[in-house]
Amino acid sequence: MKFISLLKKELREMLTLQTLLMLVMLIVLMGSMGGLMGKAADESQAESGKITICDLDDTPFSQSVLKYLEHPTADMQNEVNVITIESDDYAKELDKHDIKSFVILPKGFEDSIRDGKQAEIVYVSRMTSLSMMSNINAGSETAVQLIQAAVKTAMYTEKINSGKLTDDEVSLMEMPVYVKEQTIVADKQGEVSPLMLYSATYSQSLFMPLIVYILILLGSQTMVNAVSAEKLDKTLETLLSAPVSRIHVLAAKMIAAAVVALLNAAVYMIGMNKLSINPTADMPDDYNKMVEQLGLTFDVKTYLLIGVQMLVTMLIALSLSLILGAFARNIKSSQTLIMPLMIVTIIPFMAAMFLDISTLPGIVKYLLYAIPFTHTFMASDCILFGKTTLYIGGLVYQIVVLIICMGIAVKIFTSDTIFTASEMKFSLGRKKQKVYED
Amino acid sequence: MSQQQTAVLEVEHLSKQYKKGIYASKDVNFTVNKGEIFALLGPNGAGKTTTIRMIATLLKPTEGDAKIEGHSIKTDPAEVRKRLTYLPDEAGAYKNMKGRQYLQFMADMYADSKEQAAGYVKTAEEICKLGDRLDDKIESYSRGMTRKLLLARTIMPKPPIAILDEPTSGLDIINALEIRRMIRQLASEGMSFLLSSHNMLEIEYVSDRVGIIAKGHLLELGTPDELKAKYNAENLEEVFETVVNNKESMGW
Ligand SMILES: Nc1ncnc2c1ncn2[C@@H]1O[C@H](COP(=O)(O)OP(=O)(O)OP(=O)(O)O)[C@@H](O)[C@H]1O
Ligand SMILES: [Mg+2]
Repeated sequence: MKFISLLKKELREMLTLQTLLMLVMLIVLMGSMGGLMGKAADESQAESGKITICDLDDTPFSQSVLKYLEHPTADMQNEVNVITIESDDYAKELDKHDIKSFVILPKGFEDSIRDGKQAEIVYVSRMTSLSMMSNINAGSETAVQLIQAAVKTAMYTEKINSGKLTDDEVSLMEMPVYVKEQTIVADKQGEVSPLMLYSATYSQSLFMPLIVYILILLGSQTMVNAVSAEKLDKTLETLLSAPVSRIHVLAAKMIAAAVVALLNAAVYMIGMNKLSINPTADMPDDYNKMVEQLGLTFDVKTYLLIGVQMLVTMLIALSLSLILGAFARNIKSSQTLIMPLMIVTIIPFMAAMFLDISTLPGIVKYLLYAIPFTHTFMASDCILFGKTTLYIGGLVYQIVVLIICMGIAVKIFTSDTIFTASEMKFSLGRKKQKVYED
Repeated sequence: MSQQQTAVLEVEHLSKQYKKGIYASKDVNFTVNKGEIFALLGPNGAGKTTTIRMIATLLKPTEGDAKIEGHSIKTDPAEVRKRLTYLPDEAGAYKNMKGRQYLQFMADMYADSKEQAAGYVKTAEEICKLGDRLDDKIESYSRGMTRKLLLARTIMPKPPIAILDEPTSGLDIINALEIRRMIRQLASEGMSFLLSSHNMLEIEYVSDRVGIIAKGHLLELGTPDELKAKYNAENLEEVFETVVNNKESMGW
């Protein structure tokens, strides 16, 4: 009965409305992030069919190029908007037409082609931010490519007509080397480019570590606050002098923390699901088959393995915060106490985002491996790419760390360390003051 | 042997070093009898809280022992904890809880059955006199209200001995008086108290016996009247001053 009361109290302390709201917000955020990314991709798809062009040459050839832009192939139709400009103050022209980019066929365009010189076109675009998605001017990119193709075709046609090239030679020159891309994932093989695969799993690799990071921080903060508040309000003194097992006091805290951790892990998995590859999206059919064939989809087993890793990670973070919280001297210091934990989380987080840790040079690699959270950030990579030994090794290491952390926590709570730990520093500080006074 | 003479708490040569060589409390000896109110009297940093925390089984003594109803704090802390309640100085309560929830939670910690816990809560509700405010979050309580809630919590299981560190700090005169009366009342019913304070007048009024403590040493022990007579003093403040000065002139 006492234990149930303890557990209820800990849950009430840790699962405040605030933390629950935070978790809900995280799910919503991840959901909308997934939606947003999809929408951005769709938009740039639609944008690529909208071309704005200015024909200063105005010759039969330039006009035929415009026609070609509108209808380059049998099943491709573009919306071509022809504008006129009055000056070469491009900033003003962009404003006047209320567009972000356009392409100019300059005067003498046809002549230079006729003379066998390299022709020039002008691609005007306005850069509005440093973010990746915002500077793609899909329409103009299409136009530039199509104009290249049109000029090429015109030149080839000319050569063919004058009998200097055969049709076959032309098509060969179009693509002199065909790259047959074979990508191997673990031991599976598929005919697809790594870049394409990467772009499909991109949202996961970018956001998942971030979410792990947020969850670790959220959980640790909750625990440090709960423990330090209990210590500073001296409710802990009351509790530890009461006829209730100290192991129960600690166990209630850990179990409540584990519930919070489980909840976090669940949120993580729901979020991952929302962000993961949407197979119906605009990728070709056989591409999706390829992804599946390569084992790059998240099946139940993968989810479970990642979930286990996440749970162990949260428990480590929480028992570490339990220890850290025991050293709190005041409310402010409880916030600073969490700093070391943040640092050992952000280092592997950054490393895993930009590097393949397992290929780093020896010392750096093992230093990173020594941080238990590194293995969390590497888990999904390890599972997807068949690095089973690394995954299991990491998990075992994490469990060992967890047991040690829990052992320390038990020691602190069952001895009088929790009441003497922090104040040692306090009395040290006092002594210093005395020296100054003298 | 009369009832007054049954020792509830026996403190024997109790010492604590936080750091090697520096005693926060040194060779402290005293007993608290059944129904007696014993007060540790001393200036800031004298070692009152340290001594109390050892008795409450929170700190491990460096030397010596204390026994509550014969159970040692060193070898039998679980039995000791069944026989005492402890109110730390400047303590707070779980801020997310409502007053009544807090009482219920603490009652669960001390009671052996649901009925017993319900009885404790009822007692505490009467003692703290917080009325409807018990349904508000503790967050919204004033210092004095929190103190009253905690005092009620400490007293509600009516343990053999209640240990109160600075029981009336933060309370106004009316409330402090009320608390003192309550302590006297409960003591007359057989509950023992170990208090600490630096408010000499309060101690003089409320306690049966006092121990004067300074720099970790228990310097004098006796009833307020005995001590006043011994040092030919008007009140405990004067006794305290003389005791501390005498010792200091002897050069420790
Ligand atoms: N956790 C600790 N670590 C180291 N030194 C401590 C610790 N707690 C107390 N002390 C020191 O032990 C001595 C006695 O402190 P204690 O808290 O027992 O005094 P006190 O009589 O309760 O004082 P006050 O009236 O201010 O509450 C002081 O010098 C204090 O600095
Ligand atoms: Mg004190």
